[in-house]
Amino acid sequence: MAVVKAAGGCAVAELITAYLDAELQPGELDIIVAHLGECRGCIVEFHRLKEMRAALRTLPFLEIPERLLPDTHPGEELSAYLDGQLSTIEHEFVISHLDFCTDCRLELHELDSARTAIRSLPGLEPPEFIAVHQERVARERWSRRRVVAAAVGISAVAALAFSLLYPSHRTTDLDMTPLFDQHQARVSVEYGFNVVPAFSPADTAP
Amino acid sequence: MADERTPTWEDVARVYGRKIYNFAYRLTGNPDDAADLVQEVLLRVRRGLSSYTPGSFDGWLWRITRNAFLDGVRKQKRRPTSPLPDDDRHLAFSSPSPDEVLASVRLSEDIQSALLKLPLDFRECVVLCDVVGLTYEEIAEAIASPVGTVRSRIHRGRKMLRELLTWPL
Repeated sequence: MAVVKAAGGCAVAELITAYLDAELQPGELDIIVAHLGECRGCIVEFHRLKEMRAALRTLPFLEIPERLLPDTHPGEELSAYLDGQLSTIEHEFVISHLDFCTDCRLELHELDSARTAIRSLPGLEPPEFIAVHQERVARERWSRRRVVAAAVGISAVAALAFSLLYPSHRTTDLDMTPLFDQHQARVSVEYGFNVVPAFSPADTAP
Repeated sequence: MADERTPTWEDVARVYGRKIYNFAYRLTGNPDDAADLVQEVLLRVRRGLSSYTPGSFDGWLWRITRNAFLDGVRKQKRRPTSPLPDDDRHLAFSSPSPDEVLASVRLSEDIQSALLKLPLDFRECVVLCDVVGLTYEEIAEAIASPVGTVRSRIHRGRKMLRELLTWPL
């Protein structure tokens, strides 16, 4: 840590400025705080420098003459700004430009309103002729599905019946009881499922 | 952000032009000289961008700006600075109150006059810090000096300014 002795002041006087600018190096905060606690001259200096710094920062930020700039307004970059689609440098330009350009702030506000309005549009119901057409398509699909399901069901039942009527001579350890139970349960509650007479496992015994 | 790319000179003009202009104006106290400096800086940026290697863009830009300013000073050695304009029509005030405007004009005129009395080394550090808003490290890079030097110059510059401004702030 290098502390330069200020002319006519304490050795740590320079730290006051660095403190005001939040530019202290590690360890320097303790030094300046301890010093300000015991040096009246540096407390006065602290307030004078603080005032000076604040006054410098109130200097108005001047407008650059437009003739020096290639293109003074963002234009279509405003929409991209709203959508978060600008590069860093473009984003900085738009931000700094909006800081002083009333016209572009107004344009941005209008663009934002339009964007919000478009995005808040409700989802519309389709016209009637489209709805009728969709309903017919849905009905046809449902009919086709029922035919296919019936065919699959009949095939499954036929296969099951065939296997029961003509059991294989091969011996198997498979326990068919749960399947029989399920079948009988369905026969009792499902319409159209009793195409095969009810049976019991005893019927299949050799 | 959509993409990152090397800025063009138009980007530099649009993003940094105003800062460069303010830096130049506070250093010269003259709007015409400030405009000339901005043009010179943008010209140098345009030439230099082709050979610019990605790094600290701000450091690179402010080094160019400072060198352009120093070259201008050398070219017009000891040229007396023009007095500030009687009115500050070109200034952007945030407060519309007449009293505040008058106080602000008087304060900014006094500070500007005091700034012009500072040695150049101190003036540029104070302006880069308090007007442009660079950190000590960025200023050190711009003026190619150690951070300790920057800190010392800012401290001494503000201290001198405070002594030059006789009326209470």
